[in-house]
Amino acid sequence: MTALAVDALSGGYAAADHVVKGVSLAVAPGELLCVIGPNGAGKSTVLKLLTGLLRPRAGRVALDGRDVTGLSPRRMIEAGLVLVPQERNVFGTLTVEENLAMGCFLDPRRARARMAAVTERFPLLAERRRQAARTLSGGQRQILAMGQALMSEPRVLLLDEPTAGLSPKAADDLFALVRATAESGVAVLMVEQNALQAMQVSDRALVLVDGRNAHEGPAPALARDPEIRRLFLGGRGAGRMDASGTGRETQR
Amino acid sequence: MAEALAQALINGVIAGTILAVPALGFTAIFAVLNYPNFAIGALATVGAYAGWVGNTAFGLPMAAALPVAFLAAALAGLAVQWMAVKPLEAAGALMMAIASLAAGLVLENMLRFGFGNELRGFDLPLLRDWRFGAFRVGPQQVENFVLALACMALLWAFLRFSRTGRAMRAVADNRDLALLRGVDPVRVAAVTVAVGAGLAGMGGMLVGLDTSVDPLVGTRLVLSIFAAAVLGGLGSIPGAVAGAIAIGVAEEVAVLAFNPAYRLVVGFVAILAVLTLRPSGLFGARAG
Ligand SMILES: Nc1ncnc2c1ncn2[C@@H]1O[C@H](COP(=O)(O)OP(=O)(O)OP(=O)(O)O)[C@@H](O)[C@H]1O
Ligand SMILES: [Mg+2]
Repeated sequence: MTALAVDALSGGYAAADHVVKGVSLAVAPGELLCVIGPNGAGKSTVLKLLTGLLRPRAGRVALDGRDVTGLSPRRMIEAGLVLVPQERNVFGTLTVEENLAMGCFLDPRRARARMAAVTERFPLLAERRRQAARTLSGGQRQILAMGQALMSEPRVLLLDEPTAGLSPKAADDLFALVRATAESGVAVLMVEQNALQAMQVSDRALVLVDGRNAHEGPAPALARDPEIRRLFLGGRGAGRMDASGTGRETQR
Repeated sequence: MAEALAQALINGVIAGTILAVPALGFTAIFAVLNYPNFAIGALATVGAYAGWVGNTAFGLPMAAALPVAFLAAALAGLAVQWMAVKPLEAAGALMMAIASLAAGLVLENMLRFGFGNELRGFDLPLLRDWRFGAFRVGPQQVENFVLALACMALLWAFLRFSRTGRAMRAVADNRDLALLRGVDPVRVAAVTVAVGAGLAGMGGMLVGLDTSVDPLVGTRLVLSIFAAAVLGGLGSIPGAVAGAIAIGVAEEVAVLAFNPAYRLVVGFVAILAVLTLRPSGLFGARAG
């Protein structure tokens, strides 16, 4: 059974309502799906539609077979789906511990037990528990963001460019953590700019272009596909994709 | 002269600490709802009258009249928010600020209609000032100071340890992420308005205790409150406290150095200086 099944999803913003024009995907428990595509393809918008930040115009979203299309962010958390957004994904003025507690906001009685479980998986967060999140390095912040999302013990975890702005070493470490999270049984959907590296740690990959599915398949095979390489991976050794070829500025 | 200056410093720190209470309310509302609530002065007046009624009509001691001031101002603050500000939310922060200013005028005149223009005094025992060498402090001044500190300690504990307080800080920090973690921003906004207005009410009562209560007791504070919050960085909790103490001291010193009319100038100069030199305030970005 798939944990997350998305069928012909479309939607967008009040100002631009045709951004996502029919995206379908599925992620099984324990599986890591990476979603790649050029800037502005609608990757982040898909994630916002899935979490209830935006209301889908058409299509269907199911979690463990249950229809959850159009639920509020709160209901989506309760249904077991959590997003780590692309930017500003921690509360900078709150401590590490308070950030984790916010991840369990809807179920405060479980906070203690979950805090123990999450800090066991990410020991760094235990060491820094009293530190304000804004004092963490970029890589540490991404780990905190992921720890916060895991506090509610989601069955589906959505990550939006978790390695944006990280050093190659920090990106490697983070990919390893994402991989381990998937292997613990969570269905993980990861949007990434570091396409080549992302495909190397993922089970399957989906290429989105202009709000639609363009290519999909097992990640290693897709990474070798000459057309995909030419489209997205050519030129730059680091495998950053950028349709304009100007390179992407790192964030913060 | 040095002694007079030291006395002005003592008075300024006490006045500034009291000013910090409504300034915290103002800055908290700004941090979560992103608009300056200029009804804060009238809300302080509501609290001053509520505390005065509690004290003179029901014989409540000050520590028991303060929660009455909090409650009355909190309810008035929610009424202002729902009836005047919320309908203009879509029009932006400036319109919300103007709506709150107008609602404050209405509130002020309702109080004038109900209580008249007379100066009202709390039922206070007449006590002799305490003298320390050349310095004088009134026991009532000290009690007000301690009550103001207690209000701030309670606020700090609420923000630090309660689930709702943490949610307030989370929304102030990053509204979208708070939404993604299941926080209801509408509920948090309502709690913030109630707490912020309640703080203004307690501040108004403390000022009324120090002077007297009339329909303008809170309105006269608005400039100082705004200056304190701007000086500390709008939306910053520690900033509001530091800003209020700085404004309180500067006002006392201005009165000493020039004449009482110059008290008003301090707020204007502080706002002007911050806006031109360091728009984010002394404490930089907003902080929890
Ligand atoms: N808040 C918004 N309001 C209106 N349009 C938006 C908004 N956010 C994004 N868009 C538009 O939607 C389209 C898709 O944006 P989206 O952020 O989903 O792209 P993306 O694939 O995540 O790109 P990136 O790789 O840059 O993160 C873009 O054309 C963008 O301009
Ligand atoms: Mg994006």
